[in-house]
Amino acid sequence: MTPGTLQEMTQDSMMTKTDPQVAKSPEVALAVRNLNFYYGENHALHDISMDFQARRVTAMIGPSGCGKSTLLRIFNRMYDLYPGQRATGEVMFDGRNILEHDLDLNILRARVGMVFQKPTPFPMSIYDNIAFGVRLHEKLNKADMDARVQDVLTRVALWNEVRDRLNAPASGLSGGQQQRLCIARSIATRPEVLLLDEPTSALDPISTARIEELLDELKEEFTIAIVTHNMQQAARCADQVAFFYMGRLIEVDSADRMFTNPKQQQTQDYITGRFG
Amino acid sequence: MADRSHIVKSYEQELGQLRSMMAQMGGIVENQVALALSAIADRNEEAADAAARQDPEVDQLEREVEGLAIRLLALRSPMAGDLREIVAALKITGDLERIGDYASSIARRSLRIRMPENQISLSGLRSMGRLVQENLRRSIDAITQQDSNRAMEVWHSDRAVDEYYTALFRELVTYMMEDARNIRACTELLFIAKNLERIGDHATNIAERVFYAVTGDNLPSLRPRGGPTPVLTATETMQEPDVR
Repeated sequence: MTPGTLQEMTQDSMMTKTDPQVAKSPEVALAVRNLNFYYGENHALHDISMDFQARRVTAMIGPSGCGKSTLLRIFNRMYDLYPGQRATGEVMFDGRNILEHDLDLNILRARVGMVFQKPTPFPMSIYDNIAFGVRLHEKLNKADMDARVQDVLTRVALWNEVRDRLNAPASGLSGGQQQRLCIARSIATRPEVLLLDEPTSALDPISTARIEELLDELKEEFTIAIVTHNMQQAARCADQVAFFYMGRLIEVDSADRMFTNPKQQQTQDYITGRFG
Repeated sequence: MADRSHIVKSYEQELGQLRSMMAQMGGIVENQVALALSAIADRNEEAADAAARQDPEVDQLEREVEGLAIRLLALRSPMAGDLREIVAALKITGDLERIGDYASSIARRSLRIRMPENQISLSGLRSMGRLVQENLRRSIDAITQQDSNRAMEVWHSDRAVDEYYTALFRELVTYMMEDARNIRACTELLFIAKNLERIGDHATNIAERVFYAVTGDNLPSLRPRGGPTPVLTATETMQEPDVR
């Protein structure tokens, strides 16, 4: 299959190569099957299989180095930027295995947005931070672009705070505002999946609460995968929680069950702080 | 991951303190029930007084357990097994406090019974008391040892307590129907039997909460039960309506 446009990619979804049951299910946005990942010789993820449900928040928890961020980076093929890193297995997204070499990564990354631990606004105005990504994928006239910028800034509850200084540098915003700007930037290209790698670890409690409230609203539209070290945050935000340890998926279940009655002793030990 | 101790030692210490307070409260309440039963069986006024005197101590421990449990919930954000244990402790402490109240009530009533013993047999009440005491002991063991099997034993055994109560009810009503002079003593004994039956229920509550804390699963909502409690009709005949 040749690299395609967004429309082609969508049409291709009708021609599922593998595991059609998974791809046809409207409830599953990302279906991970027998996924292995290698940093050179280092086997970092071992045979991971799990589903990320559509329009739900899935939190990934586990000690540092357990592979949760690695998994997140696979979903937008960020590892492609680094030689020696490779993945095997399947990650089915909209009917295609996103690990395939001929996939158009620009399209994939427009459909799978990502927000990092530290706010990373571009060194440009607040307005252009939003418009920059949109311009790469869509040709909008000024009025439509203005509307898009206002729409996403409103959705991340930032519009009222920045409407009078859209042309000011984004670096002048507070950390919490910058992170909300980054989320706005991610959703401006209208992705289907939003990946968040410890998005609030550098923020104060109020900014954190705003981001968590935002996630609650965004999940009505997006499939969200979040990596967090904050167990309470996972409990508050996530519908589904996956626990990883040493590159293996130990347990995945609803947040309710994971935090009140996990099945695996390793999960219980980790979430109650008896690890090590 | 073999060591099950919490990484934060002060958290582990506070959990240990909670368990220790629960065990202490359980021990006192168990003793109260034993004293109350001795007060009935041996007409032991000293035991009755001692049972009642321990009530404030149980009440104080209940407040302390509640305070510590709330503190743990607020400051430690417990998860999974820890969360279940702390929530169970909050509820169990209420059950233990009620058991203590019933034991005091039994002790006080035992002092009011004025009747030659040979007219009324107390053997049924003693047997019921022994069973309730045994169930309470097992439920408190279940707390201290976090033993779901022991909890299950108590849960199954509550049916026998109910059956004792039903049989005692019939027996005491029969005494009253035979001789009106028995009414006062038998009424006290009926209340005592009811209090024992309630202690049995609270011991079963404790067993259910321990089972949940240990396994994360709930026991079935319907407990094994003995026959329905009989009631008197206006014509002083006993019927067994379908009430629980």
